[in-house]
Amino acid sequence: MRYALIASALLASATTALAQPRRARPVPATQTIAAGKTLFDAQCAWCHGAGGDGGTGPNLHGRLRHATDYKSIVDIITSGIPGTEMPSFRSPLTARHIGQIAAYVQSLVRTRGPSVAGNVERGAAIYRANGCANCHTVDGGGGTLGPELTSIGATRGGPYLRDAVVKPAAAHPPGYLVVRAVRADGQEVRGIRVNEDVFWIQIRDAAGNVHVLQKAELSKLERQLDASLMPSYASRVTGSDLDDLIAYLTTLRGAK
Amino acid sequence: MTGHRRLAHLRWACAAAVIASASLAAQQRNGDWPMYSGNYRSERYSPLTQITASNVSKLHPIWVYQPPGAGSLETTPLVVDGVMYATAGPTAVQAIDIRSGRPLWEWTRPIPASVLNLGFPRVNRGVAYADGRVYVGTLDGYLVALDARSGIERWTVHVGENPLGHSVTAAPLVVDNKVIVGVSGGEAGIRGFLDAYDARTGKQVWRFWTIPSPGEPGSESWPGDSWVHGGGATWLTGSYDPELKLLYWGTGNPGPDWNGDSRVGDNLYTSSIVAIDVETGKAKWHFQHTPHDVHDWDSNQIPVLVDAEINGRMRKLIVQANRNAFFYVLDRQTGEFILGAPYAKQTWAKGLDAAGRPIVIPGMEPSEKGTLVYPSLQGSTNWASPSYSPQTGLLYVPTREMGSIYFKTPAEYRPGTYYTGGSERRLDEESWGAVRAIDVKSGRKVWDFELPTPSWAGVLSTAGGLVFSGSNEGNVYALDAKTGKPLWEFQTGGAVRSGPMSFEFDGKQYVAVAGGHALFLFGLE
Repeated sequence: MRYALIASALLASATTALAQPRRARPVPATQTIAAGKTLFDAQCAWCHGAGGDGGTGPNLHGRLRHATDYKSIVDIITSGIPGTEMPSFRSPLTARHIGQIAAYVQSLVRTRGPSVAGNVERGAAIYRANGCANCHTVDGGGGTLGPELTSIGATRGGPYLRDAVVKPAAAHPPGYLVVRAVRADGQEVRGIRVNEDVFWIQIRDAAGNVHVLQKAELSKLERQLDASLMPSYASRVTGSDLDDLIAYLTTLRGAK
Repeated sequence: MTGHRRLAHLRWACAAAVIASASLAAQQRNGDWPMYSGNYRSERYSPLTQITASNVSKLHPIWVYQPPGAGSLETTPLVVDGVMYATAGPTAVQAIDIRSGRPLWEWTRPIPASVLNLGFPRVNRGVAYADGRVYVGTLDGYLVALDARSGIERWTVHVGENPLGHSVTAAPLVVDNKVIVGVSGGEAGIRGFLDAYDARTGKQVWRFWTIPSPGEPGSESWPGDSWVHGGGATWLTGSYDPELKLLYWGTGNPGPDWNGDSRVGDNLYTSSIVAIDVETGKAKWHFQHTPHDVHDWDSNQIPVLVDAEINGRMRKLIVQANRNAFFYVLDRQTGEFILGAPYAKQTWAKGLDAAGRPIVIPGMEPSEKGTLVYPSLQGSTNWASPSYSPQTGLLYVPTREMGSIYFKTPAEYRPGTYYTGGSERRLDEESWGAVRAIDVKSGRKVWDFELPTPSWAGVLSTAGGLVFSGSNEGNVYALDAKTGKPLWEFQTGGAVRSGPMSFEFDGKQYVAVAGGHALFLFGLE
């Protein structure tokens, strides 16, 4: 499986965000929205955050990248979005329940999400000053070791991004599994697993070099599920600087 | 509907001069692979000995066949009288000349996009063969008999209503002039059944309902009318004991899958093995592995028939590594529980009681907020076939080490839609797989051959002392049957989601397996 490539492709698949048009359709009953919230909390909040504020999945307030109206929200919940992490809910949810969730999501879209208390321009400066671009690409410029961030604000919510800066190991994205291999001669290779089959593993180290290793020639191979190659910025970016950086990242919503 | 057939070569006339009428068991002795699991015991074991630990390193591809269409192949090909019969999704059969790898004919049933496949991919897993005919189930719920020489249709019968979720993806099994065929549809609220059809005419001989109707034994395990959409699909091929004249078939989950509120009770005969009299279609005994299942732990995994000494007495046994993480040994005459033990990580049961019933840990059912349970919905093993080697006494199980967070949602029956009442979030990153060798007499693990991810590849063992299997990452490999040590590997370039098989042609042993969308034939020369 091509985890690394898939993850960066996901983050790069930007589409133009569409404003929510005004529609002269009846507003769903309060009970429908309430029922939708209950289902949303169980099925959707896992990725989209409590109240749709965003997490590993996008923030659902203000505007949606792939949906413009009730029907398209229903379609997305029913079928998922191919090429993204959004799965189909055709199996777990009935059409009626999908309709209730869509009504709730539509009510979220009409409201503003929690405001991010930061200064976007200062955040961009903090991004540059801390060398984030050494590993991350925005709008075609930057390093390639970490995930591309061009549209990170559209696919990840603020709380998740804050975690990713402060505790990167707890928030590493799919396709960025850290592995440590030790060769029979004692030489160690640690990095991101690019690919693995039964007999071979390919590892990209922190310098960006890809090592192709035959497992039979390794004395040890560890999957470090709780590790990340990204250092924590908890002590380097603090207080209002952190707010500013997160504010900047949440504005990255696709190539300009 | 009429299928499309393509006659590819006139050489067919020479290739299959005579269709032998020898028994299917005798055919495997001749070096053929006459049925899905190799033989009626479902050992998936080849008695051939040319390919061994000392020469398997020389194994290499002879040809690669890519059937028309697209999608992953999940077929186990048959070989009968020098012709290979393979299948592709959604419903296609190919007769392949073994020397050239070229098709003698290809038969495709038109399957519109509107045909439902609720809960499984648009695949076909194989055919049955008997007396010059090839039998195949169809995604739209039919059973078709084809002339083995030409691919011409002899008869077609309607097995189940596809608009209600029925499909046939499993290979049928032919026993005594009867074609036994099961159905998929356990996620669509079907009422499961197993059918027998006359092999010559296609006339239905019997139907066994896996869910009893009110008044029948077992019906007390279903409140109200919950039995009507009770599930219990029969979506994989079973086994057969010609002496006892009993069929052994696994049944699937009850419906709705993850929300058991409407079906309080054991929900017989779901998640069970049922022993069925092949003449009458009546159940002789049943054994339920997972009473009132709420995790989609079907018992459809291939049951394997083994004769072995237990406590100083030779017994006719049936062994199964179940999706629920327990390995079971039963007496196949009576259904008596003999032995059971977990063979993979599980967190839902303290163990099994003296009768083999699980001692369930409270609080492990799916919930609105999510409940972490091992194994995952896909189970500790799934449809990928195990293999039993009488030489080693080991059952080789494609094992899945994976947990899931199970969610419960409201369930509502609407014809032709999912009737599941929940979902899962799999813990993909920490999951892994193995070909696991289990001693059938003790249930103990003897060795593991570890895989990076839980595999969907079946296993083959051979009298040459080898075990063959594959991986999601495209590998096909051979292991030492006693130790699990790898001896040979080949990268097919696509996930292996099929069962390897072995046969002899022109005095030489071959191994065939599908990887991705291609069928590979391997040989020594």
